[in-house]
Amino acid sequence: MIRSLTSPTDSLYVTPKNWLQKLHIDGWLLLGLLLLLSTSLLTVFSASGGDWQTTQQHGFRILFALGLMLAVAQVSPSNLALITPWAFLAGLIMLIAVLLFGDIGKGAQRWLDFGFIRFQPSELMKLALPMMVAWLFAYSDFPAPASRFIIGLVIIAVTASLIVVQPDLGTSILIAMSGLFVIFFAGLPWKIILGAITAIIVSMPIAWNFMHAYQKQRVLTFMNPESDPLGSGYHIIQSKIAIGSGGIDGKGFMGSTQAHLEFLPESTTDFIFSVFAEEFGLIGVVVLLSLYSFVLIRGLMIAYFAQDNFSRLVAGSFSMTLFIYITVNIGMVSGLLPVVGLPLPFVSYGGSSMVTLMISFGILMSIHTHKKMLTD
Amino acid sequence: MNNLKFDETQSRIRQKAMFTNRLLFAGFIVFTVFGLFIARMAYLQWFNHEQYLGLSEGNRISVEPLAPERGKIYDRNGVVLVDNQPVYSLSFMRESIYDIDYVITAIQELLPSIRAETLAQFKSRLKRTPRHRAIILPYTLDESEAARFAVNSYRFPGVTLNARLKRVYTQNKSAVHLLGYVGRISQNDNLTIDRSRYRGTETTGKTGIEHFYENKLQGYPGLQRIETNAQGRTIRTLETIPPTSGENLTLTIDIRLQKYLENLFEGRRGAAVAIDPENGEILAFVSSPMYNPNLFVDGISHANYNALLHDRNKPLINRASRGQYPPGSTTKPFIGLGALEQDYTTMTESIFDPGYFEYQNRRYRNWRRDGHGWSDLKRAIVESVDTYYYKLSLDMGIDAIHDILAPFGFGSQTGVDIPGEANGILPSQEWKMATYGKAWFRGETIISSIGQGFNLATPLQLAKATSILANRGRIINPHALKGQAIESPEQIPIKSREHWEYIIDAMTDAVHTPRGTAWSSGRHITGYKIAGKTGTAQVFSLNDGEYNEEELDKRLHDHSLFIGFGPVTRPKIAISVIVENAGGGGRVAAPLAIQAMNHYIKELQ
Repeated sequence: MIRSLTSPTDSLYVTPKNWLQKLHIDGWLLLGLLLLLSTSLLTVFSASGGDWQTTQQHGFRILFALGLMLAVAQVSPSNLALITPWAFLAGLIMLIAVLLFGDIGKGAQRWLDFGFIRFQPSELMKLALPMMVAWLFAYSDFPAPASRFIIGLVIIAVTASLIVVQPDLGTSILIAMSGLFVIFFAGLPWKIILGAITAIIVSMPIAWNFMHAYQKQRVLTFMNPESDPLGSGYHIIQSKIAIGSGGIDGKGFMGSTQAHLEFLPESTTDFIFSVFAEEFGLIGVVVLLSLYSFVLIRGLMIAYFAQDNFSRLVAGSFSMTLFIYITVNIGMVSGLLPVVGLPLPFVSYGGSSMVTLMISFGILMSIHTHKKMLTD
Repeated sequence: MNNLKFDETQSRIRQKAMFTNRLLFAGFIVFTVFGLFIARMAYLQWFNHEQYLGLSEGNRISVEPLAPERGKIYDRNGVVLVDNQPVYSLSFMRESIYDIDYVITAIQELLPSIRAETLAQFKSRLKRTPRHRAIILPYTLDESEAARFAVNSYRFPGVTLNARLKRVYTQNKSAVHLLGYVGRISQNDNLTIDRSRYRGTETTGKTGIEHFYENKLQGYPGLQRIETNAQGRTIRTLETIPPTSGENLTLTIDIRLQKYLENLFEGRRGAAVAIDPENGEILAFVSSPMYNPNLFVDGISHANYNALLHDRNKPLINRASRGQYPPGSTTKPFIGLGALEQDYTTMTESIFDPGYFEYQNRRYRNWRRDGHGWSDLKRAIVESVDTYYYKLSLDMGIDAIHDILAPFGFGSQTGVDIPGEANGILPSQEWKMATYGKAWFRGETIISSIGQGFNLATPLQLAKATSILANRGRIINPHALKGQAIESPEQIPIKSREHWEYIIDAMTDAVHTPRGTAWSSGRHITGYKIAGKTGTAQVFSLNDGEYNEEELDKRLHDHSLFIGFGPVTRPKIAISVIVENAGGGGRVAAPLAIQAMNHYIKELQ
């Protein structure tokens, strides 16, 4: 079993049919991403108040990330599986290093400075953690023994807590979810999933009783920022005004008054959706969500057609992580979810998270384009 | 892969089926959530579009905090001690001011009494403030200035005149060390307070009751959602959530007694604490000299603050609960009582006092050089015979004395609701070893027996101990807020009620008989009896040298002390008085305390 998975010879691969497959590119995925990235360029240009320099920089980042995605797509899934444990171990060590002597930027300790480059280990973990959990199940029988699930949950808990203390709640949630999706796709019994959800719901009022009054107040403000309209609620109120004032057909490209009058904070990053919704209206929002659905469905299809356990789990998890990204961000800016700082994937201005996301889609392409000949 | 067994294939098929199911489920979740988002967007962009459009177009919402009124503070009879009064100030909204430098200069011309330094600081603060937030110039306008600005307000878009409430200490200096004061929220305060409760509020309690009960006094802010036009002028109020005022506090002090005592202290340094022994309510809390808390409310000027800080008489120090003094002979009744209860002496045992006590070739002098002659314990209290205690203490040892004084509260905080209380010192062998790493000397026991040496007590501790004596052993907790009495069932164990009455009798005689140390003022008391004990605390050790008051710097004179309570049969007030560098206890502290008690019992009851 193990041999067959980790040491395939190249002759086992299907001969590529066309030039896209030769380059290990999935055309549908690439089309969806290019459409999203074009939207991103337009919206960043508008949200930055027509700032060419910002937009240009964003464009170069996109090109760089696209290149990286295509490069990663050339690596076969079995080779990725080989390096997974080592990548995860390196990530774990760097996360601990970041806590001990990391650089502090914007009040959080997330960066590791190697002298020539500053690096955010949590970005590596966005890829390494779900792959590591998938690796655990790659070589196990079906149904997988309980020990695999337990080890997986421990790995997720350790990684997420190392990131949440940085503090970076958004990334921590994201990474924990990506690992949990692997466990979900690996066949964690429904009984246990429902049991865990019930346990969390039941334990909430109990934990509530043990909290101090000020802690309760903080949780309430977190859950409902509008209860503190002079603090964090201010942004949400302004964001809702931006979205709502867009109407059905929007105020048109470059028409976002909320962003241009500086009522919206972080208008090119976390709150870019509000600018998009203000300028392109409900129609624009439906188009954007359709684009996302298209990419998500393609991702889930790649998971469906994947040939081995590892690829399957990784593809499923990466697709659903994109979904979590979208949900947390749009939920926040539209006032449905608590304020958690995560960018809108593929659209927000910003470097490292976009690059990581593109690499994860490079891996999806690799999974889809490196197929083995089936002998039976 | 070539030789798959049948059940392995089965397992793979089941696995694939499970995976497919879960993928479908995930897809279902994606579409549900996206559907929800589209519904939400339709709600915002379709159904509520008009409303949001109105809010974004030209008009802007601003949210302004409504500061709560801080709780007022009353004395036990409902006299207002701390009040809030409306004053005028200017608030600046940056987004509506086109040229900050111009506006500041024009304001300076219009209101020349604002100091240039204040304005310069304010200008740099204004430039750093978020555009939509209003900030207030730290300057209080009087009526005529407010009127002058109102007439000229058209020249200052973005600057508005507001009336706000200012903390006013109606009694000025009176009771300042008890009440404390409020001041501007500092960087340090910011770390400890809950910011959301202080939106719109610029001050917080810094010391005294104002600090201790900050949580009660500070209410909860409300807010106003206002629609403004481009110039920052209010078009209409969309929503108002009124603030919740802070709690009003009624204190246990009687401001009449407080002021009466403060007048007696005029020109002197010292402290006095009066307690109702029945329930531990603090009736008066005097620390002299005093200062005016109103200076601190809007931020005190450097000149004023330095003057207070470097004043030789240290007015900022709260002597009543932070000042630690050698208790001197005021400890005698307590030690005597303990000695009786624990059989170290009897009510009749007498010693002969030649005016000194010799121990290990060293003479310990009595305050009266020619001696008191034969003296029993009662006389030792009435006339304050040191020699009796020198001898008694050697029989008892320091640890026995420690164990007798500790239940009366010596050497530990009283737990009063006034911040910054000092511990005092009640020495023992263990204490000296822990503090100095040295063994206890018996000679030190001798001077401890008259409240000298290591012993230190605060006036508040002395008043508490006196109350417990007046209560015949029932322990009270001194407190300044009405209704805060902690029912304390604690009682110092009584072996013989007779012992207690014997000591109280002795203290009564100290006030009411001609030989008593407080007779000169006690003789004027009619109709009831007061029990008391004088004390004299050495500030400067003269080591066998002669003590000549005239030659010594006034600051090295002895402190004058008195503790007492009355009426003896049904105590209404217990008091401790310390007058710094005033000499013997009978001369200054006793008359002052007895006069105040008499006033309270006769006039204020």
